[in-house]
Amino acid sequence: MDSRYDIQRRGGGGGINVSGGSVGGSPALTGAQSRRRKIPPRPADYKLQIIIIGSRGVGKTSLMERFTDDTFCEACKSTVGVDFKIKTVELRGKKIRLQIWDTAGQERFNSITSAYYRSAKGIVLVYDITKQETFDDLPKWMKMIDKYASEDAELLVVGNKLDCETDRIITRQQGERFASRISGMRFCEASAKDNFNVDEMFLKLVDDILSKMPLEVPNKALSNSILSLQPEPEVPPELPPPRMRCC
Amino acid sequence: MNEEYDVIVLGTGLTECILSGIMSVKGKKVLHMDRNSYYGAESASITPLEDLYKRFSMPGSPPESMGKGRDWNVDLIPKFLMANGQLVRMLLITQVTRYLDFKVIEGSFVYKKGSIYKVPSTETEALGSSLMGIFEKRRFRKLLVFIANFDENDPKTMEGVDPKQSTMRDVYKKFDLGQDVIDFTGHALALYRTDDYLDLPCLETINRIKLYSDSLARYGKSPYLYPLYGLGELPQGFARLSAIYGGTYMLNKPIEEIVVENGKVVGVKSEGEVARCKQLICDPSYVMDRVTKVGQVIRVICIMSHPIKNTSDANSCQIIIPQNQVNRQHDIYVCMISYAHNVAAQGKYVAIISTTVETNDPEKEIKPALELLEPVEQKFVSVSDQFGPVDLGVESQIFVSRTYDATTHFETTCDDIKDIYKRMTGTDFDFAEMERKKNDIFGDAAE
Repeated sequence: MDSRYDIQRRGGGGGINVSGGSVGGSPALTGAQSRRRKIPPRPADYKLQIIIIGSRGVGKTSLMERFTDDTFCEACKSTVGVDFKIKTVELRGKKIRLQIWDTAGQERFNSITSAYYRSAKGIVLVYDITKQETFDDLPKWMKMIDKYASEDAELLVVGNKLDCETDRIITRQQGERFASRISGMRFCEASAKDNFNVDEMFLKLVDDILSKMPLEVPNKALSNSILSLQPEPEVPPELPPPRMRCC
Repeated sequence: MNEEYDVIVLGTGLTECILSGIMSVKGKKVLHMDRNSYYGAESASITPLEDLYKRFSMPGSPPESMGKGRDWNVDLIPKFLMANGQLVRMLLITQVTRYLDFKVIEGSFVYKKGSIYKVPSTETEALGSSLMGIFEKRRFRKLLVFIANFDENDPKTMEGVDPKQSTMRDVYKKFDLGQDVIDFTGHALALYRTDDYLDLPCLETINRIKLYSDSLARYGKSPYLYPLYGLGELPQGFARLSAIYGGTYMLNKPIEEIVVENGKVVGVKSEGEVARCKQLICDPSYVMDRVTKVGQVIRVICIMSHPIKNTSDANSCQIIIPQNQVNRQHDIYVCMISYAHNVAAQGKYVAIISTTVETNDPEKEIKPALELLEPVEQKFVSVSDQFGPVDLGVESQIFVSRTYDATTHFETTCDDIKDIYKRMTGTDFDFAEMERKKNDIFGDAAE
């Protein structure tokens, strides 16, 4: 396993995951060229976990799907059947594989596991600008973050459903004020439906995460004793877009 | 709440979460509730440290020397995973491994005449070990080779031993093994807690020793794995699996009544509403009228600022105190993990002593173990009753799990899961049942 592709997962303790990635070697080719020449793709320089939290119905899955698949499903209710979605981006000359985790519907009765927060390098906290209670719920989510999330995690609060400006209840200033009270938290408003600001907000979050990470891959001797028992699951190519359970 | 479910599960302990995961993956509509505000029930890891102090009614809060409360995740029941055991198999097949990271426990030690000795994990260690004399080692090695080659379906490998008839005592005699080796084999390898196995057919013992060797072979050092952030991550992982496949989760749910009609469960009442179900799974605490006490376990959580003496400063280990070394019926175990596993603040160690209670002074029973750990900064003692179901669910369709026992790993927990599965479905459990039926990871491949 080429040591260039060892990946730092956690801040602080410095655990290096034993993963079974593919061997790279060729200069970067475009996706189409790679497929034609059948050269294995260059593995990612970084793997980052991002979680999206917030009350039911604010648009967590919609924001994720807009970013990863560029799709939007109006009628879809509580998400079933999604563990996480992978999106690969290039930033600062590095290839980053983002793993964006879904809540699996456990927020419905305030029963998200503490484990969900653990490995997140970035946390997107979403509320709906047309629903007061989703904004009032934010302190409750912050409590969970304070309790369980890594202290190094980058935070972003998003007011979603900007397309419903006419039904807006929460002003932009209210959102900004909430974020300003929390050190290091960024704020933005977006619309998954109209595809406004979605890419930008995710990429900015990833950029913030990268800016805090060391430039060079850290000393391998730190603690290469963490086992993940299974290598990272690879997404099979040519997968049809997922069908949500729309009711 | 006011809906119909195939299965309602009460309590989010490991057993219940695994069953919930199995049922959801099978396509059943599952409602999973817990009266607590946290996942894991009796198999939870308590965080922050302040909550552990509260749970054990310690006056005041943890001292500053304990570091940040949120750095702590303290297990309520001490266990390790056998690297080649059933629980790891379940984790792999369900891919709940996606949510977990593990470390190998650094070593296993056995208590003999007041001192502890490393259980050899390599040829070199075995040669240098003072646990048995040099000639005994030769005979012992022959036993191990015999066991490794033993195949219950191939009489040629049995060398005249009948797995269903010959006792382990017979096998020991065949290899001319002395008491030291017998004690070591039974308690440090086969992990029996008593000596009852000696006069029973040897097949089970042989399989236990195989499990130990196979587990040790996977990662070296020891046969045990431990999940970072504590054992409480395990039920959470399976709960997530269940949720992905449609399971509904409700913590902080007080359960008022299990509604039964004509001897069969029809639903569960909570906060004035009734959720209906065809079958119910729960831990004993929700159905005290359908269980019976089967024993008692004492567990003592000890916080230290130093590793255990004579373990070469291991940041994790297991210590086995065989019953005959301390004049008891059952072995005493110590499981030790530390900050290296994200279960304690920097520089802190957590050792949990556990054993089956035999007298009416349980704290006195574990003194030999406590002495190995001194000085202990803080200890938390619990003496818990163990329960098993009286009602097996045939008519009631209520399937009650067993309280976690004092064994050092999860094999008996997995046996309970398989048993409940059979009681519920009428068919034998097949690990393949747990495989995720659909793809639930989406997105682009590395471009």
